[in-house]
Amino acid sequence: MECVVQGIIETKHVEALEILLQGLCGVHRDSLRIHELCLKSVPNLGLVSSEVRLLCDLEQPEPTWTVRHIGGAMRGAGAEQISVLVRTMAESKVSKNALRLFYALGYKLDHELLRVGFAFQFNSGAPMTVTVSSVNKMLKLHATDEAVPVTPGIQLVEVTAPASSENYTEVAAAMKSFCEYLAPLLHLSKPGVSTGVVPTAAAAAASLMSDGGGTTL
Amino acid sequence: MAATEGAVVAGGQDPQPPPQARAVEPLNPAVQQQLNLELIKTRAISLYKAITRILEELGGLARTNAVPRWQYILGQFSMVNLELYNIVEEIKNVSKAFVVHPKNVNAENATILPVMLSSKLLPEMEMDDNAKSEQLLHGMQNLPVPAQIEKLKSRIDMIGAACESAEKIIADARKSYFGTRQGPSLLPTIDKVQAAKIQEQENLLRSAVNHGEGLRMPGDQRQVTSSLPLHLADVLAVNDGTQSFSDSSGMYQKNTPPLMSTPNNNNQSTLLQASGAQLIGRAAASPSTGSTSFDNTTASPMQYANSPRSGANIMNTPSPQQQSHQQQQPQQLQQHQHQQRQKMMQLPPHQQQLLAQQQLRQSSMPGLGQNQLSQLHDMQNQTQPKFQSMHGQHHVQFSQPLTAHQLQGRQLTSAAMHMGTNQLSQGNQLNRQLNQFSSAANTALFNAAQTTPTSQMITNMSAMMPSQSILPRMQQFGMSGGNRSLPAQNLSDQMFNMGAASAGGMMPIQQQQQHGTQGAFGNMPQGAQNLQSGIVPMQNAQQNHPNFQQQRPQNQQ
Repeated sequence: MECVVQGIIETKHVEALEILLQGLCGVHRDSLRIHELCLKSVPNLGLVSSEVRLLCDLEQPEPTWTVRHIGGAMRGAGAEQISVLVRTMAESKVSKNALRLFYALGYKLDHELLRVGFAFQFNSGAPMTVTVSSVNKMLKLHATDEAVPVTPGIQLVEVTAPASSENYTEVAAAMKSFCEYLAPLLHLSKPGVSTGVVPTAAAAAASLMSDGGGTTL
Repeated sequence: MAATEGAVVAGGQDPQPPPQARAVEPLNPAVQQQLNLELIKTRAISLYKAITRILEELGGLARTNAVPRWQYILGQFSMVNLELYNIVEEIKNVSKAFVVHPKNVNAENATILPVMLSSKLLPEMEMDDNAKSEQLLHGMQNLPVPAQIEKLKSRIDMIGAACESAEKIIADARKSYFGTRQGPSLLPTIDKVQAAKIQEQENLLRSAVNHGEGLRMPGDQRQVTSSLPLHLADVLAVNDGTQSFSDSSGMYQKNTPPLMSTPNNNNQSTLLQASGAQLIGRAAASPSTGSTSFDNTTASPMQYANSPRSGANIMNTPSPQQQSHQQQQPQQLQQHQHQQRQKMMQLPPHQQQLLAQQQLRQSSMPGLGQNQLSQLHDMQNQTQPKFQSMHGQHHVQFSQPLTAHQLQGRQLTSAAMHMGTNQLSQGNQLNRQLNQFSSAANTALFNAAQTTPTSQMITNMSAMMPSQSILPRMQQFGMSGGNRSLPAQNLSDQMFNMGAASAGGMMPIQQQQQHGTQGAFGNMPQGAQNLQSGIVPMQNAQQNHPNFQQQRPQNQQ
């Protein structure tokens, strides 16, 4: 299970956001370059088609693979009151043969994308991860070197935190309070709910850049 | 005595006066009350008096050398004991606060008691303590303790308040800093055009990330034309590249692109040949006439060494089963499955429908039965198996279950082989059941069998022998027993005897089926009940039953 929120930020403000996050999180930033393959099962493999995502971390010297299954989100009146999306998610490290395995099982590649950016993993009431990345698509199959951004001027910001059915309210609250720190630069919302950009983003970015330049950590 | 004195004292006099406490702090009034010092003092005094009296008496006895009145003296002692006990009880209630009262002093705690009882700290601890209290109270040493406590409390409160106000100030400062940095102007607005553009982009991005919109490539673009990136290069073999697209029809190509042609007999035979080539390896370990165990696979290739086979590729992998039955068969099954699917696509629609029906039955048995029947036909008719493709279909069904149970199957098959001859009678009953499995497919198979070249049949028949993996599956479905009985017998007899006759280009599936049937024999005695129960599901097989029965005798060699 995880709590997740997404937001967008204009590419020109990404650096300022990085400075802000560095200050808030206090940990080293991790570079991100993930090739995400989304596999869908064929209809006769089960009653309903299922979707599985294979993530290959290309940043490491040796590519590491992760398999992730994203389940349904919590619904209901209680879920609507929570400002983050709580959904089931199962993730595991796998070997590089996972792709072949899924193909052999009958999964087909639905789409793939490449995320390039950075991430911060820290603890602020709950362990969470902030990812700022540009989502790229590949024009040719599996051509990760020739990926172009889906939206050149806008990058995606995602904050996720693992949760369990017992503590998801606390995690959601911690995430919400963290997101308030980012309010000057961007608004975060449940995936699927569009937010637009924040009017103060330019000003906030300017102030961050002007000060950040002087005080290097 | 003590009670009356206690009652007298219980008049409630003042507790010990403070003059006693000039050097010592007065006891907490509550403790004092609880302690009831007066009472204890009274009791102690009475106890003292009693003991003194006893001592005097004993002294007098000693001087006069009189015979003591033991009973009386013992009584006195017991009285003293009781009074002591009462006093201790009184003290115990409150003594926890400031004394250690060991109940029992024995060897164990005798040495440690002094340390425990001492209220003076160890030297280091004492120094530490002094330093800390010095630091804390450096202005307050002279005041009485309550005052010191009060001062400390107020200090703590002050610090707490300072922290809270600091947090508040920081939060306010942050908000105002970011919010009003611009100066006099209010929140800047984004003009509408730009906002719309951004909104559009945002929707694009969100849908791409969350749902994959805009990232899907049409089928024709999904060919791996450029070289794969490093992380995928070793994961995806080039052959697999075409396997994975939802747009495509799911054709699985495994080194046999030329086989993807329109379904007709010729193609099927080609296909069978080609797949036979691949699958022949499994054929190598065909069991000999029924008495050898399946593990003993050397004999079988020899039987067919001289038979006219479809190609020179039969002996390529002489006995893969021998080498690694269990590991290879799953792999081979998967490969076969892929190829079988190809053939499936090429089959005429009705056969495909049939296959679908079979698949719906959820077991390999129906397919197996048909395969066996078709094998039976082959054997009897010496016809060429067009039903190879059907076998392929069935194979698709099997391969998944088969892989799970190959080992089991093999073990059973060998037993079955030994028992084969005994089962013919039972097989006859089950044979009728088998007929139920026949269907349009079987008829078609039968018909198809007429047309394929003999050599192919031989090849396939031999290829069919070794696969034992079907056996366990069949058992599981109950029906397997029925299927295996007679056809297995016939097939084994005929196949082995015929040798070159009808093997032809039969698919490896047949091979498997054959084994399944053979294995059935082993199961029959034990699984007779299974067979009976298995028969029930067989009832819903198709209707060509009578055809088969009639045909079979006709086709006897």
